Amino acid sequence: MNDITMWAEVAAFVGGGLAMGFGAIGAAVGEGYAAASANAAISRNPEVSGEVFKTMLVGQAVAESAAIFALVVAMLLVFANVGENASWMTVTVFLSSGLCMGLGAIGSGVGSGFPAGAACEGTARQPAMGGRLVTNMLIGSAVCQTPAIFALVVSFILMFTNFSDRPVNPTWAAILGAGLASGLGAIGSGLGGGLVAQASCEGVARKPEAAGTLTNVMLLGQAVTQTTAIYGMLVSFILMFKAFDPAGTTLAPAMALLSAGICMGIGAIGPGVGEGFAAQSAVGWIARNENATAELTRTMLVGQAVAESTGIYALVVALVLIFVV
Amino acid sequence: MTFNLEVILMTWIVIGILLLFGFLAVKKRGVIPNPMQVVGELFVKNLYDLADDALEEELGKKYGPMICALFLFLWMSNMLGVLPPLGFIPEFSEPTKDLNTPLGLGLMGFFIAHAAGIKEKGIKDYLKVYIEPFAFMLPLNLIGELAKVVSISFRLFGNIMGGSIIILVVSHLTYSILLPPALFGFFGIFVGTIQAFVFTMLTTVYISVQVK
Repeated sequence: MNDITMWAEVAAFVGGGLAMGFGAIGAAVGEGYAAASANAAISRNPEVSGEVFKTMLVGQAVAESAAIFALVVAMLLVFANVGENASWMTVTVFLSSGLCMGLGAIGSGVGSGFPAGAACEGTARQPAMGGRLVTNMLIGSAVCQTPAIFALVVSFILMFTNFSDRPVNPTWAAILGAGLASGLGAIGSGLGGGLVAQASCEGVARKPEAAGTLTNVMLLGQAVTQTTAIYGMLVSFILMFKAFDPAGTTLAPAMALLSAGICMGIGAIGPGVGEGFAAQSAVGWIARNENATAELTRTMLVGQAVAESTGIYALVVALVLIFVV
Repeated sequence: MTFNLEVILMTWIVIGILLLFGFLAVKKRGVIPNPMQVVGELFVKNLYDLADDALEEELGKKYGPMICALFLFLWMSNMLGVLPPLGFIPEFSEPTKDLNTPLGLGLMGFFIAHAAGIKEKGIKDYLKVYIEPFAFMLPLNLIGELAKVVSISFRLFGNIMGGSIIILVVSHLTYSILLPPALFGFFGIFVGTIQAFVFTMLTTVYISVQVK
């Protein structure tokens, strides 16, 4: 066994640990929030405790799925078969795919706890709307999972792409950057999307007639909230599939690629949460004043576009780092 | 230039299914509708309402058929992965799993939205949007506009691709016992429907942002 094979095995274990460790944070917080709201709901209206309990379990099951993605990736990494022709790229592939899935599961896990909690409280407040609330919660939390699914896609492509014909020097950093861009980028959007779904579930309980509008505006708000996570995925794809010139022993090109990933990843967190706030409030106020739906939706979209501009700055800087520097 | 024959074949299967559905739905029209007609009317009614809400009455009528066709195509495409193997086709796969399909549809929506904007507002008002609030925001506004195409197509692609990866890997890890049908239900049918709807709604909103 040579030196690099040993490090690749080490990286596979570390990557698996990071994937499951980080991946467990979000789902646990989200599920705890759902359970706390369920308690509040039951104390307010004990007659429907059975309904609330069921809603809580269904919501927690969806919130758990981000952690299950992380579990699958962690399992594949821990039992990964390190071939004889491992290189430093193999080492970063294992680390990067673990980090990507682990970080990517945080936001979606916490986020999908919010609609679950709101649906529990809504069921206590408006027991007749129980079925509609569960449907709305399921749609909202399924869309919340999207950033985690993006991280999963990137993490799988990293694991199963053959990088061996690429030059080792800048590619190892591109691989690491790709994982970080999608992983970090998913945090904000997952969380933000959860806030929107929470407002929508509250709104359905507050004003059941507006349920259709509330679901539609929620989907729109969540879709725009995910935009920066998609920029993260775009940067990851460029980093994974672009062929880079060999860089010899200089470190600068490699660092530019790594920073491109970090720049897009961290830059996507803020807009994700911010756009979530914008859409949360728009959906919340539509539930109070349905007549103003058109104005509120327009304000939401414009506000989100402005909040997103910092994410676009990050994208521009990341693309400059990849293509120009 | 290379062609992905599988995607083209799957796209034609989707078109075939939709055409067949269309013919069956209108074959024996009547005041007392047959089941196919009911389903068809349900789709048309709800999707036209969606277009009307976003685009006002007049434009809604104009773009309604496009919105309707877009949703039906995307929805059928996303459902295709759930079908079991059939006769001479060993395996169905979603055409939306290949980035080219969402990207093509995203570009289509982009061009329709901008053409609608120029037509409704006139070229001067259309161009003015790009130098607001300041003239030096022009490059960022342009990037923001192009990023819409990227975000709408990557969202669909990522979701469908992620769903099929999860189904494949978990089925493999559990030796296809118990879990796969539930996963097909969630990722295939549920997420597929939501994402088809989200794509359609975003296209509608992009048009409505341009014309207002």
